[in-house]
Amino acid sequence: MKSPSAKNDHPADRKVREVSTIRMLKEENRRLHDENARYARYIREKTNQLLEVMGTQPLRPEEFDNRELLTLDPIGIIAGSFAQVYDYLNKTINDLSEARDELQAIFDATGVGISIIDQDFAIVKCNEKQRELLVDKHLENVCGNYCYEVYCLKNGPGLDCPAVDTFATGRPVVVNEVRKKNKYFQLVTTPYAKDAEGNVTRVIEVALDITARKKAEEEEQRQRGYYLAEKSKLASVLQSLSEGLLVTDSRNRIISVNGAALQILDLSQKQVQELRIDELFDDCPTEARTMFDVDTPQACQNVEIRFRGDNRELLLSVNSVPLFNPDGNTIGRVFTFRDITEEKHRQEVFHRTEKLAAVGQLSAGIAHELNTPLGSILGYARLLLKGENLQPGQRERLGIIAEQAKKSGAIIRELLDFSRLSTPLPNQAMRCDLNNVVAEAIRVVQTELDKRFIDVRLDLADMQAVEVDPKRLEQVFVNILLNSAQAIGGNGEITISSQSHYHEARVTISDNGPGIAPENLSRIFDPFFTTKPVGTGTGLGLSICAGIINDYGGAIDVRSTPGEGAIFTVILPLPGETHGQ
Amino acid sequence: MTDSKKIELDILGQVCPACLLVVLREMNTHQRELKNGEARLVIRTDHRDTTRTIPESARKMGYDVEVRNLETCYEITIGKK
Repeated sequence: MKSPSAKNDHPADRKVREVSTIRMLKEENRRLHDENARYARYIREKTNQLLEVMGTQPLRPEEFDNRELLTLDPIGIIAGSFAQVYDYLNKTINDLSEARDELQAIFDATGVGISIIDQDFAIVKCNEKQRELLVDKHLENVCGNYCYEVYCLKNGPGLDCPAVDTFATGRPVVVNEVRKKNKYFQLVTTPYAKDAEGNVTRVIEVALDITARKKAEEEEQRQRGYYLAEKSKLASVLQSLSEGLLVTDSRNRIISVNGAALQILDLSQKQVQELRIDELFDDCPTEARTMFDVDTPQACQNVEIRFRGDNRELLLSVNSVPLFNPDGNTIGRVFTFRDITEEKHRQEVFHRTEKLAAVGQLSAGIAHELNTPLGSILGYARLLLKGENLQPGQRERLGIIAEQAKKSGAIIRELLDFSRLSTPLPNQAMRCDLNNVVAEAIRVVQTELDKRFIDVRLDLADMQAVEVDPKRLEQVFVNILLNSAQAIGGNGEITISSQSHYHEARVTISDNGPGIAPENLSRIFDPFFTTKPVGTGTGLGLSICAGIINDYGGAIDVRSTPGEGAIFTVILPLPGETHGQ
Repeated sequence: MTDSKKIELDILGQVCPACLLVVLREMNTHQRELKNGEARLVIRTDHRDTTRTIPESARKMGYDVEVRNLETCYEITIGKK
C-alpha cells in the first residue's frame, strides 16, 4: 500500500529529491573518506611514535596501506608488548626492592662498620655496626653529620684520615691500625661514586674492629716476653749447674748441653751435639742401657758409666728422666751427670785404709803373740844344734826347725811392718828427687833383675822435688819392681818413666809380663792377696806400697791388659798439693 | 630453552619495522607459553637490523634471547631459560 504523499508525488519532484539525496550521500561519503584517511594517518603517526619508542624506524608508506594497517592493529600489538614490558618492569622493581632490603640487612648485619661519606665529609649512610663501634649512643641522626665530628671527635678531617687520600687520589687506602674511642680499628676507604670529571664524590669507609686481635697480640707479646725471660732464667740455671746436663730428642740426638757437661767431658758443644747419647756413653753397662730408651717411663738414677776422653778416663754417675711435651707425650730424655772419679778413688782409699787399719791391728797382735814363742823355738833349736852328740838325722831335723822358725820370723817382721802403716809415723819426710829414689831402688833389685835377664829402660824427666821419706818410697819402688820381675819370670823388659802432670809427680813402671787378670785388678792392693804359690809370698807387698803412698797423699794406679803386661803408676803430690784430698 | 615446544616464524624477505611488529604480535599471542618456558619462538630473518631490534624489545619484556648467524639467515630464539 502506498502512502498518500507518494501516491500524489510528481515524477519531476521525485527526480529532484533523488538528485538531492545522491548529492548528500556523496558529500557524506567524501566526509567519511576524509575522516577515515585522517584516522589512518593518526594511527600511522602514533604507530611510528610507538615504534620510535621501541627503537626502530617508522613505517614506510609502501609497507602497509591504510587497510592493511588497520587490519594489523600495530597499536594493539605494541600496547600488548608494553603490557609485557610493564609487567617485567614491575617484577624487576619488586626484585630490586627485595634486593635492596636484603642488602640493607647485610649492610646492617655485617661484622664491620660501613659508612658512605660525601665530598664534604658528611655521612650519607651508616650501618648499625658503625653506629655501635664509633657513634655516641645518644646521637640519633648520624646521617648529615660530619664524619670527623662523629667518628673522630675532631673539628676537621685529620692528616691521617684515609678518606682524604681517597678523595684526592681516587684510590683505595688501608690504614692498618687506628685507635679511636679506646678501640683499635683497621680502616679501608674505597671510591664509591664519581662526577662527570671523574672526581670522587663519595667514598665507602669500612671500619674493622681489631681490638680483640690487638689485645691478643699484646697478650701474646707479653707471654712471649715472659717465656723468653723464663727461658733465659732457665738457661742461666742450667749453665750454673755444677752437674752436667744433656737433653736428647726422641731419636736420642743430643739437642741441648750445658757448660758443666762440656767441662766435665772436655768436649766442645759441636762435638757433643754430633753424637747420640748412646754413642757418647757407649760404655754404659748393658743392664742400664734402658736409660737411653725414650719410651722408658721411669727415671734411672746413679748409673755408673766409664767415659774415655782423649787424655783421661772418667767415672760418671748418670741420672736420666723422661722429657714430656705439654700433651704428656715423651719427646726425649734429660740426662744429668757428675764426675765421681775422685770421689770413687777417695772411697776406695778410705775402704783400703780402714781395711789396712783393721788387718794391721790384728797382725800386730798376732805378730806380738807369736814373736816370743817363735824366738824361744829358734833359740832352743840353735842351742840344740850346738850339741856335739847329735845324730845326723836329728841335726837335719833341728836345722829344718831353725830354718822354718827363721822364715816365720821374716813373715812376722813383714806383719809388723804392715801393722806400723796403721799407726802414725814420725815425720821423716824431706824434699828429695824422685829420679834418685828410682835409681836407688833399681840398684837394690839389680841382682834379681840380672838373674832373670830383665832389662830396665829409663825415661826420666827433670822434676820438682817431692816431700817424702826416701827410704820408705824406695821400698815402694823395690816392691813394684820385684813384683814385675816375678811376673815376667825371665827374659823381659821393664820401662820406668817419670813426669810432672799438672800438680802431680808421676812414676810409671810397666813390664811386658803376662799382665793381671781383670778379676784380680781391684784386689791386688788388698792385704794377704797373692797369686803366687803358697809359701812364696805373704800378699802384703803391694798393700804396704799403697799404704806408704797413701800416707803422702798420693795414689797408685794399675792398669793391665792380659797378655800385654801391667802398668803401675805412682802418683805423688808436688809440694803445696795433696792428691785425692 | 631447547626442551620446550618450538614455534617457528619465518619472516625472510621482510624488513623493519614490519618484521618487529609481526614478531611482537607472535610474542603477545604466545605470551603465557613463552613466559612459563613451555614454548620458544624461533624466528628466521635475513634483515640484519632485526637482530638488534627484536632482542632489545624481547629483553625489555623479560625474555631470554639467543641470536645465531646461520649460513643464509639469522635465527633468533626467544623464551625462558
